[in-house]
Amino acid sequence: MNLFHERWRTRVSLLASGCLDGGLREKTLRHLDTCAACRDDHAALLRLLEEVRQDPVREAEPDVALQFLVARVEARLDTALSSPAWRWGWAAASLGIAVLAGALAVRFVPGFVDETRVATTPTAAPVAEVGMDAAALERLERTLAREQAVRYLAEAEDVLVNLRAEARPCPKKHAHVELDAEAERSRELLSRRALLVDLEGNALLPARDVLVDVDNVLREVASLSGCSGRDELERLRREMDERQLLMKVRLLSRELVS
Amino acid sequence: VWSNAGVDATDRELMERLVRGEREALSPLMERHHRRVYRIALAYLRNPDDALDVVQETFVKTFEHAARWNPAAEVAPWITRIAVNQSIDRYRRERRRAQTMTPMAEGDHHESLDSGGISPEDAARGTQVKARLDRALRALPERQRAVFVLRHYEERSLEEIADVLGVRLGTVKSSLHRATHELRRRLQGLLA
Repeated sequence: MNLFHERWRTRVSLLASGCLDGGLREKTLRHLDTCAACRDDHAALLRLLEEVRQDPVREAEPDVALQFLVARVEARLDTALSSPAWRWGWAAASLGIAVLAGALAVRFVPGFVDETRVATTPTAAPVAEVGMDAAALERLERTLAREQAVRYLAEAEDVLVNLRAEARPCPKKHAHVELDAEAERSRELLSRRALLVDLEGNALLPARDVLVDVDNVLREVASLSGCSGRDELERLRREMDERQLLMKVRLLSRELVS
Repeated sequence: VWSNAGVDATDRELMERLVRGEREALSPLMERHHRRVYRIALAYLRNPDDALDVVQETFVKTFEHAARWNPAAEVAPWITRIAVNQSIDRYRRERRRAQTMTPMAEGDHHESLDSGGISPEDAARGTQVKARLDRALRALPERQRAVFVLRHYEERSLEEIADVLGVRLGTVKSSLHRATHELRRRLQGLLA
């Protein structure tokens, strides 16, 4: 095996990947006729790529309906646009321009440099504690618990937002609305919540009340049939409003993130 | 080609609306591209929850950075670039977290992902291959994995991959070559 042959190996893998055409493809195919090692290589790569072609990921579908994904993106954009970080971003940009203008003045205005230059002394960087102690592990677990709770709340918020939105009329019954997607999503969320969010742990103690409220609403939604009466939907909406559930979910999510 | 002319024209119109700050254009754009973005992220990260997060982050960035889109360029490759970058970012975050939770000696990260037997639940050969493919792909370096996913899951040409990743064609070729051989090495037992 030499450098020359290494070039053939590259060509053989590109051939197997379907990335060679024209004269180079013909040349590589001719080389395969004369080189047993490259032929074996080529056959093995084709087997590998055949396995990849059968990977179910290629046909995978998101297990969340598009409407929920859109709602979640909208919620993230709302949070981003209203966050102080966004407003501070603009302030920082303005400040950056001012600093740049100052730097240009220092560079180009005669006499400006010497009067403003300040001697600096390098400071020692703090020595970081290396290793994992019990407190650090506890912090990590708490962070993980909060992240999972934030994800759960974001997904639950989608369901709540959908309940608030204009309901789709049910074609089967008069004065009924379609809530099958919301009911199914609630069932799925509740089953995952039991695994992901530990309500008894200390990490989420301040969030417990809101999480229990969210669970209760999701349970009610999960118990609905696909075609439900408008009065049932209105009752759920009133319950959410009385508890100010959406606002609490958003505030809690922000608190957990921060 | 990324998409036919009619669809691309509409994609472009939607992007132009996003550039003007019209958020209503995001939903139809998501409808067209969210499955593709999901599959790219899933092929890259091998985790459905992470892939869903990447879908959301991709479209949040699509809106936030719409002004950076070049109107002369096609929309799908631009969204793909965001999706790949978001997948890489997420992978880095997860890797950092994994390293903090389980400190490992330098250089043994890839081997540790690949070691360990298949669980009894993975007894069926198809599941074995899927599980080994998950591990083997996760163990590839970031760029090699991105090139492999774009070529063999998204079926993009080498030129398109170079454009999406912002690297030279030669780099794409060598990355693809290394990725396929590394995967072959890791999956050798199952492919015999």
